[in-house]
Formats: sequence, C-alpha cells, structure tokens
Amino acid sequence: MSDTKKYGWTGQGLRINLSTGEVSTVPTDKQWIGGTALGYKIFWDEVPPKTQAFDEANKLVIAPGPLTGTGAVCSGRTSITTMYPTTYPRHMVGSAHLGGDIGAKIKYAGYDFIIVEGKAKEPVYIYINNDDVQIRNAGHIWGEGTRRSHELISQETSPNASVTVIGPAGENLVPMSIVINAKSHTGGGIGGVFGSKNLKGIAIDGDQAIHIAADKEDWEKLVNRHKELLGALTQTVVSRYPHPLFEYHSLNSRWSGMPGKQWGAANPPINVPLDTRRLSKMAFRTNAGEFFLGDKEWGLHVRNNGCFACPIRCYPVIKDVKTAAKFNVSPITEQTCGGLLFPVFFYPNLKLHPERNIEIAIVGSQLMDDLGLWCNYGQIQRDMVMMYTDGYWKKLLSKEEYDSLPWKKIDDVDASAMQEFLPKIAYRQGEFGKWMGETTPVMLEHFGIPLKTWSDDHRSLYWSNGHPKHHTNEDDAQLGCVLNCMWNRDPMAHAHVNFTRSGLPIKEMKHIAKVTWGDESAVDQIGDYTPVNEYKMKRLAWVIARTELHNMLGLCSWMGPWEYCPDEKNQYVGDPNIEAKVFSAVTGVKKTGDDLDKDATRAWLLQRVYTMRQLDSSNMRQDHDTVPGWIYWDPKDKKPFTKGTVRMDPADIQKSFDIFFEQMGFNKQTGVPTVDTLKEYHLDFVIPALQKEGLIK
Amino acid sequence: MLDLKELLSKARLPLDITRRGFLEVSTVAAAMAAMNTVKAQTGAQPYIILSAPKGILIADPSLCVTCQRCELACTEFNDGKADPKLARIKINRNMWYGPQGTALVSPNNGAFGFDPICIQDTCRQCDHPVPCANACPQGAIRVNPKTGARYVDEEICIGCGLCQKACPWNMMSFDAEKNVASKCFLCDGDPKCVKACPTEAIRYVPWVDRSKEPNRSTQHGYLPQNNNDQCGICHG
Repeated sequence: MSDTKKYGWTGQGLRINLSTGEVSTVPTDKQWIGGTALGYKIFWDEVPPKTQAFDEANKLVIAPGPLTGTGAVCSGRTSITTMYPTTYPRHMVGSAHLGGDIGAKIKYAGYDFIIVEGKAKEPVYIYINNDDVQIRNAGHIWGEGTRRSHELISQETSPNASVTVIGPAGENLVPMSIVINAKSHTGGGIGGVFGSKNLKGIAIDGDQAIHIAADKEDWEKLVNRHKELLGALTQTVVSRYPHPLFEYHSLNSRWSGMPGKQWGAANPPINVPLDTRRLSKMAFRTNAGEFFLGDKEWGLHVRNNGCFACPIRCYPVIKDVKTAAKFNVSPITEQTCGGLLFPVFFYPNLKLHPERNIEIAIVGSQLMDDLGLWCNYGQIQRDMVMMYTDGYWKKLLSKEEYDSLPWKKIDDVDASAMQEFLPKIAYRQGEFGKWMGETTPVMLEHFGIPLKTWSDDHRSLYWSNGHPKHHTNEDDAQLGCVLNCMWNRDPMAHAHVNFTRSGLPIKEMKHIAKVTWGDESAVDQIGDYTPVNEYKMKRLAWVIARTELHNMLGLCSWMGPWEYCPDEKNQYVGDPNIEAKVFSAVTGVKKTGDDLDKDATRAWLLQRVYTMRQLDSSNMRQDHDTVPGWIYWDPKDKKPFTKGTVRMDPADIQKSFDIFFEQMGFNKQTGVPTVDTLKEYHLDFVIPALQKEGLIK
Repeated sequence: MLDLKELLSKARLPLDITRRGFLEVSTVAAAMAAMNTVKAQTGAQPYIILSAPKGILIADPSLCVTCQRCELACTEFNDGKADPKLARIKINRNMWYGPQGTALVSPNNGAFGFDPICIQDTCRQCDHPVPCANACPQGAIRVNPKTGARYVDEEICIGCGLCQKACPWNMMSFDAEKNVASKCFLCDGDPKCVKACPTEAIRYVPWVDRSKEPNRSTQHGYLPQNNNDQCGICHG
C-alpha cells in the first residue's frame, strides 16, 4: 500500500479564480520547494511580464513552505508573490513576507499554496475550510478597518480561523497599503492588489495532519538542537547588559531579559527570570517593546506574542490606558519593529518631547494597521518630513490644502496629528493624500522633483526601484549595498545584519566567518570597513541564497540563519546546515545545505531573468542595480575605509559588483547570467524567451 | 463483612482502588453475581474508572505567549505528525477570542480581548465519575497505574466520538487518520508540552479538583446502557 501521508508538503495547492468563481487544485511542483520560488515559477508560466499590479491578469501566489505548520523552529512564515504596486519604473514581481498563522492554516487546510487570480464583480472574501472553499459576499465588511474586519469575518467563519484582511487603503488602491494577518502581522505593499480584485480578505481553517518523515525521537532531538542554536531577536547571542551567565554583552543586543525586569502589565506582574538561556525560558529573552520604545515600556508590557511555532515571540503586547484615554485608541497595542518604531519619524521635532515616543508609537501603529497603510520601511515618514522641512508641501499644495493639514501638531509633537493626515492617505484625499500613497519616485515625478534630489540625500534613505534601503552600508558595507539591488523591492534580508549586529566582538565573528565562508576577511567591524574582496562577495551570495531559501521553506529571516549561536563553549559557531537537516527530517527528501542554497539561488535567478523581461533589459547592472549617491556621504566628511564612518567608495562599489557578478557566472558588465550559468542552475527553460526578446544571446 | 480485596481480585475493576465501603451489597456472592452478569456480556465491555488521579497539567494564562509549541510537541513527539485535531492541550481555539469565542465580537480574553491573555485548556484528569470514560461504550478509556492519567486505549476505541460529547470541557481529541479518539495521557509522567513551553507556563503538579470550573459546552446526556448498569453495581 502506498504511503499517502503528507511529509512537509501537502502535495497540492488551490487555484481560486475570482472572475469565474472557479476553484481547482494544482499539484505542487516540489522542485521549487515552496514560498517565493513557487511564486516566481507561476509568474514565469502564467503572468505576462508587462502585467501591471492592478490589472486583472495580476495574480497572488500565497505560499508558506514545506516546514510551515510543523514544530520546525521559526517556521511560521508565508510569502505572497505578486506584481508590486510600489516598484519603479514599472510594476515588477516581488514578494511580501508575513508571519502570524496564515501559513500554518493553509497547510492544515491541505494546501501548499493558494493562487488567487481574476477579479470579483463585488467585494468578496474567501473562506477555506479544509476541502470546502467558498467565495463569500463581503459587502457588509468593505470599508471597515482591518481590526473590525478581522473580527467580523471570524464571527462568520470560526474563532479558530486565520484571517487576513485589507483596510480602506487597500480598498482604495493605495500602493502604500498592506494586508494584515493574525491581528498585527502585515505583508507590505500588496493591499491594493487585493483591493483591485475586490478581495477584502481570506479566512482559512483546517485540521489535517502534516507528518514528520523522521523517527519521532530523532525529530524531538533535532528540534531541541535547533532551539539551542537560537539567540534572542535578530539572533543576537549576547546579553544587553553584563550578566553572570554571559561572556559578552552589547548595548545593541535584543537579549534584554534581565533579572529586575518585569512584564509589568501582566496581572500580577511577571518577573523576568535570571536564566533565560534555558530553553524553557527563552520567550523572556526579548522584549521588542522595550527595544523600540525604551525602558518605560516594561511597565506597560502584558506579554509577548508572535508567529506560529516560534519560541522567541518578537511582538510585544502593550497595555496603555492613559494613551487610550488621551487619544481615543485601544488600550491594547500589538506591533513590532518598524510598525512600532517608525511613527515617531513623522515628527522632526521629537527631541523636544522624547517622552512622547510611546504614545506616538501606540497611536501611529494602531492607525496605520487599522487603515491598512504601509510605511515602506519608514519611507512614507521620511518623504513626508523631507517635503515638509524643505518647503515642498508649502510650495506645491494649494494654500487651502496646505492649511488644512496639521503642521502645527507635527511641530508640537502631538500624536493626534497622525489621526488627521493618515486617513487622507488611506482615502486618497487631496494632492497630499493621493501622492503620499504612491511610491516615492512616482510622487516626486508628479511634483516635478528630480529623483536625484532624494537619492543623493542621506535623509531620504531612498535606494532604487521605488524602495528604501533595508540594512545596507550602515550594517554591512559593500555587501549591504549590492544586496539592496538584488530584488525589485527592499530585500527583506537579515542574514547579513543579524551576523554583523550579533553583539559578538569582531574576533569571534572573524573566526565564525573563516569557518563558514572560508576567510576572516569576509566580515569587517561595522564602521571600520575595508575594501571589498572575494570572500565578502561570497558571503553576499550566501546571504542572497539563505534569504530566498528561508522564504521558500517558510522560515523566519530575523531569527536565522544559524551559522553562529550563543554557545560560548564552541566559540559561538552554530550550524549553517540546520535548515537542510530540518528540511530532510520533515520531508524525507535528503538535501545538504549546499543543495538547498543552489535551489534558492536558482529561484532568485528566475526572479531576476523575469525582471529582465519586465524592464526589456539586457543590462541589469545599468537598468536595475543602481545604488544611491548618499552611500558616498559622511556627516563629517570622513574618508571611506577610515574608522568611524560607513561611507562607501564609488570605485570600490563598482568593484564589488564586478567580483559578485563574476563569482555568480554573470556577464560582468551587464549583471546578466550567462547561458552556461542558466543551464548550471537548470534554468534552460528560460533561455528561449530571453533570446527571443533579445535580452541574452 | 465484605472482603473488598477478594471481590476485586475476581472482578474487572481497577486494583488500585482507594475507596472503601462503597458497595451496598451484603455478600460477596451477590456482588459477584451482579458483576458476572456484566462480565457475561460478549463484545464491548464498559469500564468505570474508580481510581483517583495523581497528577494534572495546570497552565498559567498570563505566561502563555501563544506560540502553540505545546500543541505541536504533543502530537509531533508522540505521534510523529503535526495534527491540530489531535493536540491534547488546546490553545488555538482560545487564542484570538478567548473561551467564549466570537459570541462577543470584542471579547475579554485572547489577542483581541481587553485582557489579551490566552487560557490554555488542559485535561482535568477527572476523578470518578470520569465523564469520557463513562460515556465510552467500549470501555476504551483506562487508567495508567503509574501516573493516574486517564488515557484512550487505541486498540479498543472504535472512534464513535461519544467521549467527545461527554467531556464538559471539550478536551477529547481525535486522530482522523486512525479513526480513534485520544486524550491527554500525561506522556507517561514526562509531559512533552511542559518541556516545549518557552515560558514554563504549563506545570505538571499533584492533582487538583477542577470539576467545578465552568463548562465549555453542554454535555451530551447520553450514557450507554451498559455503562449505566455498571454504575448500578455500586450505587444501587
């Protein structure tokens, strides 16, 4: 009798056509593993490269990975691949990545992925419950904020269901909009794609088993071994402050769970234990609330929350009744990272009232989430403030519109300012509202401001292709700069910065670099950079592979990879092959770390050549891989490669591209993979189209 | 005077019985006659659990970070699969809206609640009368002599689901692939969920009586006749 158990993969996905109402199943093409790779392949096969984000022909490929739904550590991630409304100079393929519980429920319902295509005639939501897939009327929910929408859909489906919704911003086709899952887990930039399909949300419930191929005792040992490799949030592996159980500490570490700290808003308050190194106390290591909002957050901290199956819990649950009363918001806030930190960037005068950072975070994050707005890694804040402080708004808006906006409240660091201007963006009101919701270069183009004004100015942090930097030279020198060009949006990669900001002293990091990438020179101390070399670019290729791999397996990119770990007895050397071991144990398919890196690079290459067809580009280095001028700037005009600056050198950056492209088997001048390289990665099938379109020879 | 031990050695009652003097019958012979009637029945045999439980899982809702790793450990480390229907500790059903579900659109507990904690549901390891065991027409729910845990014997279970209907707290689980019920069996004294929890929210402690806690649902009133008869042996 054949074994019909699902090991990791369920073996099939769903295709839901909102135009026709047709629902069908699609076998999973396991060579692409899952997540973004499945997305890229479906786009290659089914979506014409010149499709625009809000065209009916655009699709959404919602895909966790084979590990998602299991107890594989940090495996609760899902990617949504689509044409991105915020990419520039045209809409290009990209992926949102979200946590919460959507991925686990997709798997438990029996699917590896969901393809959503077409456009519903009226507002709908999709309800999936195991085999049963319904497209339901959402007319009574359309227009509601994400919070209320989530609760209404839960009430109509199941309190157990995973619910993913858009808010008014997505409904109004604002490019800077999100989908939001599990109350607080957002996928950036794609709310408008849902909105363009009249799709208010997706509810998913399921209760089918996912099997583990390995023997259950071996699996238990492997899971515990993987847990031992974990540090605190962003894989910081030393304590924040000196601690008797730690060899090192670093003020940048997110391992701040220390004796004397409390989850102060728990009832009664909970003391953080002395030994959070223990696996049974690991959820106390990080309080992302205090990391982003400061020490006062401890008194407001109810507990931690986070993605399915992760023991780290990087979402703080904050209770603040004073702010709730003052600004008429919910006393409970749950958000993390940029969602929590970036609202203060709306306030250039924050230093006049630094103590207001928490109330601004609370009001801002709740409102951004409920309206379904995206900050694009703080770009919406930086754009608004630069346009304000440099006098553009005053010059470009009508007097009437300018005066209607709450500039005095911005100057006075008043959180209620956001309650006035954020809805204007979600509802596209006025010139301000309409163009702030567009991606940066589209807004600048409309207002007649040269893009170079932004890309030469460090204050903007604008990178290219419609998106800002996301961990570049401030974290990892040349590697960060080339990395930020390698997808069509910001890379959402942390395999580099996790390492450089691990908290370990440089001597330990150089040892780990030698063990993992072949030479100590693969990494420099932040702010003490040296010129590029082959090992740095080798590490870049590894970072790209691991970023894509995690997005294929359903693994978190903030907690891994795990080439280093908190184990001082082993000189902090981790296990760079743990992903492969876990993958093999769950699926029964034996792969090494190198095998999976190659699979991941293959997927990333597919995305790159598809992008070439979108841009009609045979020279990606020129047409796509552009770096901004501000990386060559230093506030004190310090020279590159001197201590105390992260300033880059133009020739060195170009040399970085040269080395990287050569290592990857690309044409050095154009950054295009050679035919031999495409064949080496089993991408033969892309060659005819690329040749036909004159993009490769 | 009734020799309890003599009676028990001849009957199919659990041998670690701790109660005395509950039998109303006047002679061993009469008691044996009653029991023999039951034993003479072929096929399914009811099984009434009399022995007291020893340990129980208690969980602190203010420590639950809703990672659901306890649910995963329960089925992955015991059954080799991630199976939400089989998880014998239950988090998912309470983590968004609390035990009341979406009866109140904005609830008291769960992530959407005013008090955003999650109440973990663990098996009460009920003392006699054990609702799930009493409801089972096959006598499939037994007692582990070492831990006192009430567990489902998969060899005997026929997957009828009456135990699920009987549990006032909806704690019975189901293995849809094997078509048998399951329940928390305390992992033979070393609970996997306790070890998996990243805050030590779940503790394995000496038994406490949780039978007065509010029910999660109304019980299905049906008790198989054979089981009813069993009760009559002791309770007249």
